[in-house]
Parts: sequence; structure tokens; C-alpha cells
Amino acid sequence: MSDPLLRLDDVYKSYGDERVLSGVSFEMDTGDVDVVIGPSGSGKSTMLRCVNRLTEIDSGAIYLDGECVTDADTDVNELRKQVGMVFQDFNLFAHLTALGNVTLGLRKVRGMEKSAAREKGYEHLEQVGLLDQADSYPAELSGGQKQRVGIAQALAMDPELLLFDEPTSALDPELVGEVVDVMRDLAAEGITMLVVSHEMGFARSAASDIVFLDGGEIVEHGPPEQLFENPRADRTREFLGRLRTEHEEG
Amino acid sequence: MHAFPLQSDWAFVLGSLDLLFEGLVVTVALTAASIALGFLLGFPAGAVEVYGRGPLARVVETAGVVLRGTPLLVIIIILFFVVSVSSSAFVTAAVALGLRSGAYQSQIFRGALQSVDEGQLEAARSIGMGRLQAIRHVVVPQALRRSVPGFQNEFTIVLKDTSIAIVIGLGELLTVGQNLYQGGQSTAALEIFLTVSLIYFVLTFTTNRTLDYVDDYFTIPGGEQA
Repeated sequence: MSDPLLRLDDVYKSYGDERVLSGVSFEMDTGDVDVVIGPSGSGKSTMLRCVNRLTEIDSGAIYLDGECVTDADTDVNELRKQVGMVFQDFNLFAHLTALGNVTLGLRKVRGMEKSAAREKGYEHLEQVGLLDQADSYPAELSGGQKQRVGIAQALAMDPELLLFDEPTSALDPELVGEVVDVMRDLAAEGITMLVVSHEMGFARSAASDIVFLDGGEIVEHGPPEQLFENPRADRTREFLGRLRTEHEEG
Repeated sequence: MHAFPLQSDWAFVLGSLDLLFEGLVVTVALTAASIALGFLLGFPAGAVEVYGRGPLARVVETAGVVLRGTPLLVIIIILFFVVSVSSSAFVTAAVALGLRSGAYQSQIFRGALQSVDEGQLEAARSIGMGRLQAIRHVVVPQALRRSVPGFQNEFTIVLKDTSIAIVIGLGELLTVGQNLYQGGQSTAALEIFLTVSLIYFVLTFTTNRTLDYVDDYFTIPGGEQA
């Protein structure tokens, strides 16, 4: 029981000569909502993608529920049933309706009956406020709606951990709110979430911890009030300062 | 010199429609068999070219290059007179056309599979689907839709190329037509060729329109941008 839900232990990753993750160690518990911030190119998305092994690490180890999931003999499909992912570009299945998107995994991965899968699918569409769009195809939905379907799709698999890879970065500004609201609801429900995002409002109000990643290293890791109000590292202060300026100018 | 030779020639064509119809049946059957065989070979071949690695992928690629680079006439003559795959001219013609069509269809499907965004496969894998499962349930349904226009083209090509079976004496449409005037029973060569061409045109036109409907029917509402 004392094992954290997720633990990264000295994780390294390079693309060719370029080192993206440089000895990242990190842990989070069930029910935590951790938000990873940092400049672009700092390795945030890579860190996330290593957790469900869309990207393979070079060295170190990642543990889920105390079990190492980066061993060569780990069943990645089993791992991914436990770890859901929400993508920046939504990546909804273009040929399926919203309901079809949510139920495909239930039917083909979980092996559920069609009717049971539909029922669960409707439940999760309702959870993200899209019951009325169940029969719409992705191309008929707005960006915000697409992302909410993406969240419902990941939720439907009942993962232990949900990864969000910049879920609002591809959205028009006026559509960000509806997605953030859904994420806030999930956080309040106790869903464990690891979120890469620049939504500082969400980070402040919903995060249990903030992780500041820069140059492939975790520079600072702590609760939002500490990290935002009293950052210890100069690099954190600089980054937050830059972010605030941009925000005010924008 | 006849004053109105055309009239009697057209009358001859009309009188021979029953024979032409028999040729038409062979042509349609040969087209269907060749397209079906081509699909059975071409679809997996296209998938292997996109997703396969190692020796299998190289064998498939090489076979495709050789088949696409060899004139159909040569393929059919080799299969009938040299390798003698079958004593039946129909079967030989279907194998020759099917092999060649498979080589072309593999490229139609290769392009269609490659055109499906990489993120679709990634999203499918990230909900725990295996690679084959993800390809089958997410990539292939989208790729098949995108392959219809290329398939229309291929269908038209195969239909008209069935006429090459004339070199091994198969009684398809063009052979029947040629036999009609070569026996010396008539001088209606031009009329016969025009009639045969018209029949090919009607066949290609109607199947292309049918495939247009298929395309419309399966089109994803709102387009394909996910």
C-alpha cells in the first residue's frame, strides 16, 4: 500500500544526440492531480509519453502500482488499459461517431457486449456534457467538443491514471473553458491526473502538485501555492515571470 | 462498290448481338474474377508494404515491381504457353489479370493506408489495442474509404484489359467481335469495333457510377478531419 501509484526513477531519453529527459525522478499518489509546466522543448510531453510507452525510455525505470512497466517483457497493452491518454490534437477516430469513439475500446479491448458498452459510453458522454452529440462524427464537432469526447474515451476505460498532453493547446481561446471545466470536475471526483498544460488557472485551483520541468530536468516540484508564490529556483521564477508577462500582454 | 454498305453491315451487327452477348458475359465474369483475385492479393500486399518489415516486405515489394513492369501481354502468354497454370484460357486469363491487378491495387491500398494520420494509430494503441487490432479497427476502415477513387480507375483498366485474353483464344467480347468479321462472313469490322467499344463504355460508365454511390454512401459526415 505504501507504493506510490506512479514513480519515475532516473529516467533518461534522447532523440539522436538531443537529450530530452535527463534523470527525471518523480512520484505521485492515487487521487493526485499533478500539473507539469515548463518551456516548450523542456521534455514535458516526452515525460508523459514515456509513462504509457508511446515513447520508450533509454534508461531508468517507471513503476505503476509498484510494478516496473518499462521492462522489455511488460505487456504494453495491459499497461495502456491502466493509463489513459488525452492528446493535444484529439486524435478521435474519424470514421466513428462520438459514441463509437468512446465504445470502441470497451468492445475491442475490454470485450464488453455492444449494449453494455453503449450504456457505459452514454454515461461518459454525459459526464463531459455531450450526451446530445453521441451520434455526431468528429468532423461535425467543435474543437472543445472533440477534446471532451477524447476525455470521455479515455475515462471509459476506467484507467488508474489519466495523462493529458496539452489538452487545450490546439483550441481556440473561447473553447478552452469548457475543457478545463471538465478537467476540474474530474479532479474534484478524485480521478488521478498527470497534466501537461499551460492553463495556470487550472494548475492553481485543481493541482495537488506542480512540476516545473526545464531542459529535461525537474527543477522544482511542490504544491501550487509554494511553487507559484515562493518559487525556490531562479529558473522557476524566470519562467513564471515570463508567463505572467505574456499573459498580461495577451 | 455498294451504294449503302453500312446499312447491311449494321444489320449484320444487330443479327450477331446474341453472340456478342455471350462474349459480354465472359468479359464481365473475367473482370469480376480478376478484380476479386487482385483484391485478395493487393490488399494484404499493400498492408505489408506499409507495416511489414524484413524479408516478407522485400519479397512483396519486388513481386509488385516485376508485375507492374511487365506488359500484360507478356504475363498472359507466359502463364498460358510457358508455365501453363491451367488448361482453361479463362482461368489463365483471370490469374494473369488478377496478378497484375493485385500489383496495382497494392499501391492503391498502400497510399490509402499511409494517408491515415499517424495519430489515429497512436490513439488506438493508447487505449490498449494491439497493433493489428488498431490497424484493423481504426486505420483500415478509413483507408478503404479513401481507396474508392483509385479502385474505380483500376476497375476500368481491368475491364478493358480483359480484351488481351484474345491472344489465348478466350471467347470474351473482343474475341467474339473479331471472329465475326474474320470468318469472311462480313465486312463490318468498323461497325463491330464501334459496337464492342460502346459496350465497354456502358460497362465502365455504370460501374463507375455505382462506385460513386458506394463512395457517397460511406462518406464520413462532416468530412474526415478528426
